[in-house]
Amino acid sequence: MLRQETENTTKNLIKQLPKATAFVGVNCNIVHISDSFLQIFEVNNLLQSSDNILTLFANSNKRLEKNLKRAFAGNKTSIEKTKFYNSENKITWLEWEITTWFDEDSNIIGAIIQLENVTEKTKDEQRLKKLEKILQVKSEIAKIGSWDYNAITDELTWCDMTKKIHEVPLDYVPDTESAIKFYKCGSFRNKIIENFDKCIKEGLSWTEVSQIVTAKGNILWVKSTGRPHIEDNKFIGIIGSFQNITEDIITQQKTKENELLLRTLVENLPLNVYIKDLESRKTLVNKSECDFIGLPSHEIIGKNDFDLYPHNIADKNRKLDLKVIETQKPMLSFENRNVKKDGTVTHFLTSKIPLLNEDKKVTSIIGFSLDISNLKEKEQELKKLFQVTAFQNKKLLDFAYIISHNLRSHTANFSMLLGFLLKEKDETERENLIDMLISASDNLLETLDDLNNVVEINTNLNLEQKKININNAFSIIERKLKSLIKNKKAKIINNIPDSTEIKGIPEYVENILLNVLSNAVKFSKPNESNLIELSSEKKSHYTVITIKDTGLGIDLVKNKEKFFGMYKTFHHEHNSKGIGLFIAKNQIDAMKGMFEVNSKVNVGTSFKIYFNENN
Amino acid sequence: MKTINSICIIDDDTITVFGIRKLITTVAICNDIKTYRNGELALSELKKTIAEKNELPDIIFLDLNMPIMDGWEFLEEFISLPIEKTIKINIVTSSINKEDRDKSEVYMCRTHHNLSYNTKPLNIEEMKIMTSSI
Repeated sequence: MLRQETENTTKNLIKQLPKATAFVGVNCNIVHISDSFLQIFEVNNLLQSSDNILTLFANSNKRLEKNLKRAFAGNKTSIEKTKFYNSENKITWLEWEITTWFDEDSNIIGAIIQLENVTEKTKDEQRLKKLEKILQVKSEIAKIGSWDYNAITDELTWCDMTKKIHEVPLDYVPDTESAIKFYKCGSFRNKIIENFDKCIKEGLSWTEVSQIVTAKGNILWVKSTGRPHIEDNKFIGIIGSFQNITEDIITQQKTKENELLLRTLVENLPLNVYIKDLESRKTLVNKSECDFIGLPSHEIIGKNDFDLYPHNIADKNRKLDLKVIETQKPMLSFENRNVKKDGTVTHFLTSKIPLLNEDKKVTSIIGFSLDISNLKEKEQELKKLFQVTAFQNKKLLDFAYIISHNLRSHTANFSMLLGFLLKEKDETERENLIDMLISASDNLLETLDDLNNVVEINTNLNLEQKKININNAFSIIERKLKSLIKNKKAKIINNIPDSTEIKGIPEYVENILLNVLSNAVKFSKPNESNLIELSSEKKSHYTVITIKDTGLGIDLVKNKEKFFGMYKTFHHEHNSKGIGLFIAKNQIDAMKGMFEVNSKVNVGTSFKIYFNENN
Repeated sequence: MKTINSICIIDDDTITVFGIRKLITTVAICNDIKTYRNGELALSELKKTIAEKNELPDIIFLDLNMPIMDGWEFLEEFISLPIEKTIKINIVTSSINKEDRDKSEVYMCRTHHNLSYNTKPLNIEEMKIMTSSI
């Protein structure tokens, strides 16, 4: 009875044990079992105390049976793990510990199974394993190693990657002294020692880029970090990372070098280089462009052409930019005239190139401008020179023609007359021929004088130009032509202000005025009075003197080519031999002026003389 | 000696005119040699001759470089005159310019008159040709 009571008490006691515990007999039958045990297997009280324990362990009953048998034999068993899926198919990890059950007399009567739910612990373990794996993979991919310094034991641990970076075998055992020696002697090593000390003494973390020499003698760039390892507010060591960044550093250096090369190139190109954004604001300018604008680059960046150039120029440039943005096509080597706000004109050979991003959208415009003002100037000079040469060439040709024609006609006459003279027997006729020879000789001399005059005008290009009062000049000429004016009954009306002055060679000016005025007087309509009007005006850099008559006039359409020709006359006037205007024309050319003639037969002639003020 | 009815000399140079006249007398007989100082004077006279239906000259000696109306201007007007008979026109010039010679060839093609280009000084042989085959 007492025994029964004791047994019941025991049973009750075991039933309530917080740790899952089961007492099994040597036949694996359940003797006592705690509720907590049953709870794990979700069997509650349905289980009979005589039931076989192995039925609960569906998956691992064989292993359990083996272990139990060992316990029944009085042997020790190890802790083992098993898993169990509950009704919700959730995994539960269990650990069993089996000990031999003795009675009071130390006889083996069974075994005690104690279960522990290790689900959480297992999960943690698995997570840790996974993390370790990830870390390993990560460190291998990123080439980031880790290290750990235990301050208490003064032990240093390197992970495999750290060892690989140092090029030491995986069984290498580092210590602080040897680890520091890997750092390149000098500032790198000193710095790392300093960091290590500060971390121990002041708890400071570090990140440092240094160079190491590996066990195989290779020089590498590494990035090492370290931070204090604190547990329970106590410093217990340092943990850190170790990364090989040699490739990054080399790439960085290369990029820097390339950038420097490009920058130096762009900066020093003898071309104006700029980049503009879509609003035509400058985002980059090189030295040439800065020099051209006359501002330092930081004062140009962000400005558009409207800030820098007159409106019309800026507007033109903006339109070109927009065209490049819209068409996405570069405009290459076109001539572009630029005017600065101070009025300086520059001719550029410009190219505008759209800069496209990966989506083929224009993000900015690159511009190159080559200053070709000098070339342009030279081109203009060349054109001018060409004109002068062409003009002079024509003059020379004309002159050569005149010489060949006029001189030839005289010599032909000599030759002919001499031929006659040789054969002539008659004395009177011989005298006649000799008279004619003398006359031919006089004509030749006269022609030579005329030609000489023209040559002089064209060779004495540096005669001094003086200020000449035009009305003074006219009054002298009118005095010279007094009798002619009287004979022809010409009336001269002078509307030129007395103050009018022109610049020229006095001799030439007088001859020109004399010729033009005498022509106006001379070629009057028979028996009609001739009204001659003198006037003056300013036209750009010319003072224009107009001599207008109501005389015979001349058909200029017919006589255009001959008007200023040598020995050309247009009217039956005995004392005109066609040299006056030819000389006058050469003289006005020499003074860089010009003539302009309007004439109508039987109406009159208006003769304008342009005196150049700039010479 | 050959007889020529009428000759016309258009030249402003008296010595040349004298020379032409003298050379003519050595190769032919002509009692009607008229001289004009420029093209305009000659043209108005010739026009008058046509209008009055008088005999036109058989030969014309024409200078190129003359005042008022030069030889080319004269030719331009003359070839457009209504003249049936073929007149021998001898250009007599001191110009040895190729342009002038080329220009004369253009006129040769444009007219039925017998046009020739001669440079001064003239000699008897040339004068014989200039007065032949009227």
